Amino acid sequence: MYIIIVGGGSVGYSLCKALLREGHEVLVLDKDPAKCEKFEDEFGSVCMRGDGCEVAVLAEAGASRADVFIAATNEDEDNLVACQVAKHKFGVPRTIARVNDPKNEEIFRRLGVDCPVSVTNVILEHIEEKLPTHPLIHLLSMGEGKMEVVEVKVLEGARSVGKAVKELSLPPDSVLALLIRNGQKPQVPTGDTVLNVNDRIIALTTVDGEEALKEALVGRSNG
Amino acid sequence: MFWRKLPVACYYTGRISLEEAVIVKVIIMGCGRVGAQLASLLDAEGHDVTVLDINAHSFRRLPPSFSGTALVGDGTDLETLKKAGIEQADAFVAVTQGDNRNVMAAQIAKRIFNVPKVVCRIYDPLRKDVYEALGLEALSPTTIFAEMLKDRVLS
Amino acid sequence: MRLHRGETIIVDEQYMKLERVLVAVNGKDSDVETVKLACDLAKKFKAKVYVVYVIEVKRSLPLDATIESEIEKAEKALSRAEEIAAEHDYEVETDLVQAREVGPAIVDEAMERDVDLIVMGFGYKKRFGIFNLGRVIPYVLEEAPCRVLLYRENIS
Repeated sequence: MYIIIVGGGSVGYSLCKALLREGHEVLVLDKDPAKCEKFEDEFGSVCMRGDGCEVAVLAEAGASRADVFIAATNEDEDNLVACQVAKHKFGVPRTIARVNDPKNEEIFRRLGVDCPVSVTNVILEHIEEKLPTHPLIHLLSMGEGKMEVVEVKVLEGARSVGKAVKELSLPPDSVLALLIRNGQKPQVPTGDTVLNVNDRIIALTTVDGEEALKEALVGRSNG
Repeated sequence: MFWRKLPVACYYTGRISLEEAVIVKVIIMGCGRVGAQLASLLDAEGHDVTVLDINAHSFRRLPPSFSGTALVGDGTDLETLKKAGIEQADAFVAVTQGDNRNVMAAQIAKRIFNVPKVVCRIYDPLRKDVYEALGLEALSPTTIFAEMLKDRVLS
Repeated sequence: MRLHRGETIIVDEQYMKLERVLVAVNGKDSDVETVKLACDLAKKFKAKVYVVYVIEVKRSLPLDATIESEIEKAEKALSRAEEIAAEHDYEVETDLVQAREVGPAIVDEAMERDVDLIVMGFGYKKRFGIFNLGRVIPYVLEEAPCRVLLYRENIS
């Protein structure tokens, strides 16, 4: 695959190294000539000096034949614009953006970035999963950012407790793929499967349907 | 947006008549030279202007007669925008020094808050084309000014 | 070592041991003198001469793309090099290389073939009114692991 990375900082560097090791063609874009030289010294001709948000630079970088575009700079707005230009001007199929400020992750997703990655949020979600207020964790983005694989924990007091799956008002285009129950083998839930407290469900949902799914599974019984 | 009766001088007939004028609620992101000038022009015509800038020092560019609101904050932050009244805004203008910030804020205003009129400045003509194709109203001073200069030079 | 323009070249054998020489050609006029120079030097030591033309492939194309116009240019330059060598009673081995950047490619070729000397030509030019060596020459001068001979042509 041909992968373009904008930003030759620590994230860009690690990505470049790992991707080259897997045999992909990589190009790193950075405005700083000193950074470019470091990449050249270590990896050869993998770095080009330029601003990854500029149409002219991306054209020279061969963005139209890139398979994946990763924006990994320190500035969220630059990452957003780079991904948008890559996608809408050059048709790159998969755009991934590093999100420094966690609150921008949702905005990026809504503005069309296929895979916004906020490390802070991932860590927070895993911490908060233990707390009752955040029973839904994002596991994976699929289908160019249109589908999400999530893990939902059925909490005490949720209206879905004791109900069969077919009785829940699940949003359309969402699928409950797997049910993990303590002390049992994971099973594929059917319409008749009854949910218990502390059940963990791996579900597939659209970005828009996520709230409704959460509400259906863990919304409280009394309002 | 609300209707208010303003006196409008009608020089042609030599009479003053009361006409209805429309007041627009505008949020301007970026109080640089252009932002401040725009704020002052809109404010002088009686519109409801809120100016946002990350640096309070920028507000020195606003005229003493400015009767709008100046807020310190980041126009790409949803809470700041709500504080500035974006949910009731008729128009949003992004004129900071950074093309990318302008574009991000404009998209937030348009796609997340559904502000009816959103305009932003993008210096880079090629990037402006990309965003125009995405449905954003963008102006590139580079192209506009170069064309104006061309006309001057050739006239 | 003293060099006489055009005529014989006097080489101090103690200082210049040559077994393999790499000549980088680019299709320009300076190629003629560059190849001739390399052959004359190599003759003394019966050194092997490799003539290499590097096609720089833009990133909008994959590295192994076939660019007809470039390949044509390259083959022309390489045949001319063979002719020049033949005129000077010498044989050269030619090679066509495709790379993202010319400088690193020349250095790589030199390292792979373990050459003792790289010979490059430079057509005198002024870019934007100031003298400029370009990107390739400074890179090779800095990074080559062996000796480098730079031939700058006459200002005509």
